[in-house]
Amino acid sequence: MRIRARSAKFKVIAFTAVATMALAGCEGSSSKAGSGSGGAAGPVTLTFAASTFGDPGRGPGLEKWIGKYNASQKEVVVKPAVVPYPTFGTTILTQMGAGEGPDLVRFDMPEFAAAAQAGLIEPLNTAIDAAKYNLNAAPDKFMFVGDKRYGVIFEASNYVLYYNTDLVSTPPTTFDEFLATAKAATGNGVYGAAFRQTAPEQNGMWQDIWNYVYGFGGSYSDGKNLTLNSPKVVEGLSAYKKVYDAGVIPKGADAATFRAMFNQGKVAMEIDNGGFVAAVRGANAGLPFSVAPIPFPVRSQGAILAPIVVNAASKHKEAAISFLQWMLKPESQKDLQLVLGASSVASVTERSQGELAKSPFLPVVDKLTDTSLPQVVLGYEAKTPDIRKIVIEQVLRALAGEVDMQTAMDAAQKKAVSTVG
Amino acid sequence: MTVLGKRGRSGSQAPQRVRSRTNEPRRRGRSARRSRWIPYLFLALPVAYLAVFQIVPLLQELRLSFTRTSLLNPGNNTWVGLDNFLAIVADPEFIRTLTTTLIYVVVCVVGAIGIGMGTALLLNADFRGRGVARALVTVPWAAPGVAVALIATWMTNAQYGIINRALEAVGLGVPNGQILASSTFALPAVLITTVWQLFPFPTIVLLAALQSVPKESTEAAMIDGAGRWWTFRAATWPVIKPTVALLAVLMAIWSIRRFELIWLMTKGGPLGSTRTIVIDLYSRAFESNDLGMAAAIGMVGVVISLLLVTGSLLLNRRAEKEDTL
Repeated sequence: MRIRARSAKFKVIAFTAVATMALAGCEGSSSKAGSGSGGAAGPVTLTFAASTFGDPGRGPGLEKWIGKYNASQKEVVVKPAVVPYPTFGTTILTQMGAGEGPDLVRFDMPEFAAAAQAGLIEPLNTAIDAAKYNLNAAPDKFMFVGDKRYGVIFEASNYVLYYNTDLVSTPPTTFDEFLATAKAATGNGVYGAAFRQTAPEQNGMWQDIWNYVYGFGGSYSDGKNLTLNSPKVVEGLSAYKKVYDAGVIPKGADAATFRAMFNQGKVAMEIDNGGFVAAVRGANAGLPFSVAPIPFPVRSQGAILAPIVVNAASKHKEAAISFLQWMLKPESQKDLQLVLGASSVASVTERSQGELAKSPFLPVVDKLTDTSLPQVVLGYEAKTPDIRKIVIEQVLRALAGEVDMQTAMDAAQKKAVSTVG
Repeated sequence: MTVLGKRGRSGSQAPQRVRSRTNEPRRRGRSARRSRWIPYLFLALPVAYLAVFQIVPLLQELRLSFTRTSLLNPGNNTWVGLDNFLAIVADPEFIRTLTTTLIYVVVCVVGAIGIGMGTALLLNADFRGRGVARALVTVPWAAPGVAVALIATWMTNAQYGIINRALEAVGLGVPNGQILASSTFALPAVLITTVWQLFPFPTIVLLAALQSVPKESTEAAMIDGAGRWWTFRAATWPVIKPTVALLAVLMAIWSIRRFELIWLMTKGGPLGSTRTIVIDLYSRAFESNDLGMAAAIGMVGVVISLLLVTGSLLLNRRAEKEDTL
């Protein structure tokens, strides 16, 4: 009886082991790269991931624009996929690193550089003949890593000063005027200005402080060495802290909150990217606002350069490339620009009379393209996320009053050099 | 075939029918074999689940911890032996992370169980509205961690937060109102939020344990002139002690694993002042893209949890031995 009991136990253990291996084996046989499907019977389905599909102002317009592509042919169906901006890079890079992920991705520059260097993006030198398209040269040059093109510009959105024309009659033209105007506008539930200034919004805060750093003539690197604690960088960040300390911003409010406040007429001025125009119009079409160049000493500001790329692990690269080629057609580019609002697209396009009548400030935004820089540290593009974290930590320390800005940036320089070299 | 069976009370032997020799032992043997199988069969599924979702990933993590692996290219890894472990041990930032984790765990356990005990004792008394009070106490536990983190973030907001306004009213305001942005005040703020969310669980468990304390013991102690403290110590504590010990181990392990509250409130900052092992692991894996190092940190966390559980088991056994002596 004992022998039989042992034999029974062995059988159960063996059964459990087999079940375990079978279940574990199921993981290995799951489908790889991209959600693309298709076969002889139907069209190929591609997934296109972008945080902007979730924008209340532009998301529906972008989906309709993609719908035009789907309606124009029968071989490929592109499905938009929303991934929230704060976690976009982490989510998509994790998927792509595992050989999965969407077929098409609208990246931000730091993640684009990291993905390109890791070989996660399909090179497009042969697929995209740049000579055929009238591409905007200034932002397009950032689509290369070495001599390989890894993406085309989906959106180039320059940072400008948005102001409520009821609260600010004349836009400031210097930093001192900007601060004075913000102070004058603050009161009765209204704030003079707004920007991101909390740790959970690290990525967005990096974009916001970029304008101060470069607007005061600073730079995080000279192309070869990091210069985080250079005098001009410290001057720019000190100006940022001055605005923070002036009591003119809603402290602790995240971007979604203070943008909503701007739309409700509770924030007088806000430095934001060109894509914000569509968001404002979508939230409050009657809001009286205009834009002006950022009133800092140097005409240099950040730009959100968003490349669209093809996942190197996609099973349907040809289909994805055909979407890019459609996207670069002049009519598609014009339609895309209409949706994106004040942002530029890959090609040089002319604004229509209707657009200019609705938004007469558009030429102001477009003129800034040549002086706008993507928010990556030159020479350290793939390491920008690490540098960003170090810089933001130290800037927050200075904002909290623990140290002065020079000490903070000295610490940032030291840590960044030891982390990234 | 009929044989004489056992003697009855009257002494007579009752005839018992015996089934055919060829069938009866076989049937008894088969049902005995089946009944031995059944517990293992029931165990097979949870064991398989644990093996697939816990043990296999743990073994993979162990392997990863000995490699240099990037999140962007996880298939391409290099064996580096103990390099990752040596690097984290030599890193003063990691030592700080361990210290922060220890503080976090100790305060959460002591705070949650201490407040839980006090609340359970109050709720064990008889008073009007006790049922409603017991239900309300569970609200922090029932609230989703994300909601708690966001509410706490707003309550500690520099401009609008009621916490700083209340502190300012009594002359204890935080400089610039910066609670979560201050490396001095961020950890206490996170701890208070965590303890607030955790305490209902020990409250409910200890309330159940208190209700198993024999009323006669407490009454006898009080009749003998013992005050409340001595009554608790002599009559109540010995009964609920094993429950408290189990709660301590569970809360400690949960605290080591806590992620969403800290990540949403501070992301481990400012300057690492609220960075625990789990936060460091996530940051290394998904911000620095260093899976090997993150896995090594994860293994350190596993070892700490195992030490806690082992220590608790050994203490338990010792206590049981002392009880039997």
